[in-house]
Amino acid sequence: MLNETSRLIARQFWSSTFRSGVVYPILGLWLLMVAYAAYSGWKSYTTHNHIRSHYQQTARESWENNPDKHPHRMAHYGSFAFRLKHPLSMFDFGLESFTGNAVFLEAHKQNSVNFSEASFSTGLLRFGEISLAMLLQVILPLIIFFLGFSAVAAEREHETLRMILSQGVSWKEVLMGKSLGLTVLALLFFLPVVLITFLLLLFSEGEVLATTDGWLRFSGIVISYVLFLIITSVVTVLISAASKSSKGALVKLLAVWLFLIVLLPRTTQALGSYVYPAPSRVEFEANTEEELIQIGDSHNPDDPHFNALKDSLLSVYQVSSVKELPFNYSGFVMREGERISAEIYNRHLESLHRTYQQQNRFTQLTALINPYVAVKTVSMALAGTDFTSYRDFQQQAETYRYQLAQTMNELQMELISNRAPAPGEGPYAISRQYWSEFPDFEYEWPALRFASLGTVVRGGGWSWVALLIWGVASVGMLTYQAKRAKVF
Amino acid sequence: MLQAINLTKSYGAFTALNNLNLSVQAGDIFCLLGANGAGKSTTINLFLNFIEPTEGQATIDTLDVSQHPKKTKQLLSYIPENLRLYPNLTGLENLEFFCRLGGKRHTNDQLQELLLQSGLQADFIHQRVSNYSKGMRQKVGIALARARQAKVLLLDEPTSGLDPKASNEFSELLLDMKEKGVTTLMATHDLFRAKDTGTHIGIMKEGVLVEQFATAEVSFQDLEQLYLKHMHN
Amino acid sequence: MYRLLTKQFIRSRSTVIVTLLVLALGIISVLMGEQFLNKQQRAIDEVAHYQQEHIQQNAQWHADDLGLLLYYLRFTFINSFDPLTALSIGQRDVNSSIQRVTIRGLEGQKYDTDLHNPTNLQVGNLDFGFVIIYLFPLLIIAFTYDLLSEEKEGGTWRLISSQASSPLLYLRYKLSVRVGLVYAVWFLLWVCAQLKLPLSLDMNTLVFIVLSGLYLVFWLALCAWVVSWQRSSSFNALSLLSVWVVLAVLLPASLNSLLANLYPVPEALSTMVEQRDGYHEKWDLEKETTMNSFFAEYPQYQKYSVPEEGFSWLWYYAMVHLGDAESRQSSEAMREKIRQREQASRIAAWFIPPLHTQLLFNDLAQSSLDNYLSFLDGTEDFHEKMRLYFYPKIFEEASVGKENWESFTPEYFADAPEVNGVLAFAPLLLLTIGLFAFAVLNARKLKALE
Repeated sequence: MLNETSRLIARQFWSSTFRSGVVYPILGLWLLMVAYAAYSGWKSYTTHNHIRSHYQQTARESWENNPDKHPHRMAHYGSFAFRLKHPLSMFDFGLESFTGNAVFLEAHKQNSVNFSEASFSTGLLRFGEISLAMLLQVILPLIIFFLGFSAVAAEREHETLRMILSQGVSWKEVLMGKSLGLTVLALLFFLPVVLITFLLLLFSEGEVLATTDGWLRFSGIVISYVLFLIITSVVTVLISAASKSSKGALVKLLAVWLFLIVLLPRTTQALGSYVYPAPSRVEFEANTEEELIQIGDSHNPDDPHFNALKDSLLSVYQVSSVKELPFNYSGFVMREGERISAEIYNRHLESLHRTYQQQNRFTQLTALINPYVAVKTVSMALAGTDFTSYRDFQQQAETYRYQLAQTMNELQMELISNRAPAPGEGPYAISRQYWSEFPDFEYEWPALRFASLGTVVRGGGWSWVALLIWGVASVGMLTYQAKRAKVF
Repeated sequence: MLQAINLTKSYGAFTALNNLNLSVQAGDIFCLLGANGAGKSTTINLFLNFIEPTEGQATIDTLDVSQHPKKTKQLLSYIPENLRLYPNLTGLENLEFFCRLGGKRHTNDQLQELLLQSGLQADFIHQRVSNYSKGMRQKVGIALARARQAKVLLLDEPTSGLDPKASNEFSELLLDMKEKGVTTLMATHDLFRAKDTGTHIGIMKEGVLVEQFATAEVSFQDLEQLYLKHMHN
Repeated sequence: MYRLLTKQFIRSRSTVIVTLLVLALGIISVLMGEQFLNKQQRAIDEVAHYQQEHIQQNAQWHADDLGLLLYYLRFTFINSFDPLTALSIGQRDVNSSIQRVTIRGLEGQKYDTDLHNPTNLQVGNLDFGFVIIYLFPLLIIAFTYDLLSEEKEGGTWRLISSQASSPLLYLRYKLSVRVGLVYAVWFLLWVCAQLKLPLSLDMNTLVFIVLSGLYLVFWLALCAWVVSWQRSSSFNALSLLSVWVVLAVLLPASLNSLLANLYPVPEALSTMVEQRDGYHEKWDLEKETTMNSFFAEYPQYQKYSVPEEGFSWLWYYAMVHLGDAESRQSSEAMREKIRQREQASRIAAWFIPPLHTQLLFNDLAQSSLDNYLSFLDGTEDFHEKMRLYFYPKIFEEASVGKENWESFTPEYFADAPEVNGVLAFAPLLLLTIGLFAFAVLNARKLKALE
């Protein structure tokens, strides 16, 4: 397929591009942007993780420094979960700036994860963020378009195309050759990004490259972007071949860039939100509250569920009042209440996230016609900065919260007396060693799993397929265009 | 060597070439005369397989050009009306590039020799083609034909825009190639050159070959009158 | 003359396609804005409804303990918005316009986010402001980049140079046809916005309209200047698009990263921890210490006493309030950091017209970060108001039934945007005039041959 002739043409494209001198300023600017993006990603990663782990530690110290006290107070004292950034977020910020970073974990209440970067933004965030991934997804295609729009069209305009074809070179060889040349040029721009990412990962905390998971993610990223660049180069050459003039090719390519990168994602997301409306916070809370009231609200003194529970307990233990039960009754009630409310809340949250996924589906479907969306989704999934990764954090935080609350409830059940304290007696308390015994929140990164569909594959989903299809299709399109292309 | 058999090319309702039957023997220089739009360039383009015929076929050395694109191209060399090369490369580099595209490798010395033989001045060989005149670029085209050892030469208005000296040099090169057995099909306006260099002449009008004869059979005045007669009808 | 020039322009297929595309997207953006307004309004209606239910329900359950009731009761405070928000959604989709707060610690409540799909936030809104700031420049570029070069490359420039009495005047005619079409589209979209959205024609709306028009003039000036260099179509298209990418994508995005790195906000997290600690540690301290601090701030409640042993609501609410008080420093430090970011981006915006225009649009539409910060301040005032209203009742153990719970409807916060006219228009005007001047100077050197 890529025979001697095609390689000749590729080499000629390469050398004429360099001789025209236009590559050097573009490459220079590109390297500047890459350096800045890398610095920005690294700084953001280290600063934020320092801050977050610092405060995680501070919060833990406060927790452990608590004196002996009633375990329910500790349940309300609560703890914090601060989301640590994945090292690969230095490469692709993904959704990180738009999702919260800190959540307060306490009994009876599921709090929101607050303080996303977006909430502090002055409106600049609308314009996007400079990250290595953004440069590769948005700017590099533009550079490829700039460097390659005249690849075939100029030859046709300058009539050198006739000379080439009359030497016995077939159209397919021409198109393959130009695509090869442009792809290699694109890879020249890609290489510094790979190197710098590798170095960043190697020298930063988190030691991502020490794990298989890290290597898999890194290689996945490299492969996906190489595929994306090949697709972009082929599309450029195809449009150049199909256009009557260079100017026409350029305009078409710029329109493609604008449409696929700026306009389409926005429109499909808006469409998704319109077709699958998501509840506001008020509605969400009201729905959960309503269900809670129906199933069993521990705050309601007349709640039927809890009354029934009380009655059955009294009959099982054959006592006449809750004070005579062998365990702390209010601890028991709270444990049950926590179980119910957590289950309801999680179910509603799960449903909300399914709605979000439905909203995203429109954009996801366009991955088949929009390789930009495909590579963006895949990149975010691999970098651990997509919604699935965020959801994973939220679930881990919630699990921790639940355990904290229930552990305190159970301690209360076991160790706190059922009788009210006598006048003069202070409130009941248990030893503070129990606080140190309860482990701190530690966020564990979801790993790539081969055997089962891991977080990454679920996150990337349809986009993987789309990217592969595009990769194969682009070569097919070359063959197709070769038959239709015109000499003049 | 070259044959057009019922060759027709239409673009919708418009017929650019109507049922052309033409035969060029080995070693001939066949000149196609005619006004703009008569179908000369269309004929050349059909032999080059740049366009597909609506009917009929064009063959080179009995091979149909659309069935055997690569083989037939290897037999020929093409010099368009305005031969364009890569401006940022030198004449030598251009020659090398196009030779290699055609699958032939030559040493630098060989290429230089070819350029000199084709009349290119030595001090221009290593200059960028952006400095070349049209005549010089054509000489590179000839050198390319020689390098390819092409058996067939297809020329489209080769002398248009050349000054008389360059035009003369070109004729001499053509005759030299003829000595070596190269067959030439040339589309041209230049009556003088056609009579001077060509072995056969064909007059085309609105896609039809209305006259064809050997150059030796007519004098220049007759040729002129014959040409004008067809132009006015 | 105009008639023919217009015909020649409009008949071109690319003109039609580009114009229709921008029109279509403009109309979609107006519809999106309408949808946004509806969604906000729906949320407000819901919250008013649920507020009543919530209050009634809880008043029933805790009918005998006012202190306990107010532990649970949430009061609604709403950031009112101008219909202009539909045109420039700004920060309003990230930061909630509705606060539902109890009279307990505010620090732990006021930053609670709304529920939203982060993918929507990342992709960004297709609002009217987006169409003006991003798409109209592209329309202008598409219409004007080959103003001169198309003639030169088409070969007609020689004719014009030799026939026309003033080729420059001819170019001006040509340009004005294109400008006319751009503003026709602009006008149409504004009419559409006026029809679909409940926009009031007040000062803010007028400033918004004028600003959007002036922004387009800037881009015209820029295109005129590049065209005056008399280069090829491809060169012009490449240059103008690069400028667009730099001004609309690269510079703002780089600035964003820069500011985020220069002004990180660890104070957000420290506030969370300090407020939690500040409140909880009071449980283990001497009540006297706590109450002294509380009475120092609110001497009017000194008359109420706290029992030595056991729980009292006075003590509880004092502890809770002191939790807020102790995190106040961090809270202010956080605000200061955010303000610094805001300041820095406004200064940088003087040189980046798209950014400048976006920030102003947000100011006018009351969807800027400033507006959100004011709203937070307003929430603090509201919170204090509710607290001070209920404190004496709780401390005196007033009856739940005596309170008219139905009167507690959502309250509104209104922030009048102050847009300094000079600061608003000056940067754009200066740049525009400068560019036009350059363009005119270059035009004097108009060459007949390429």
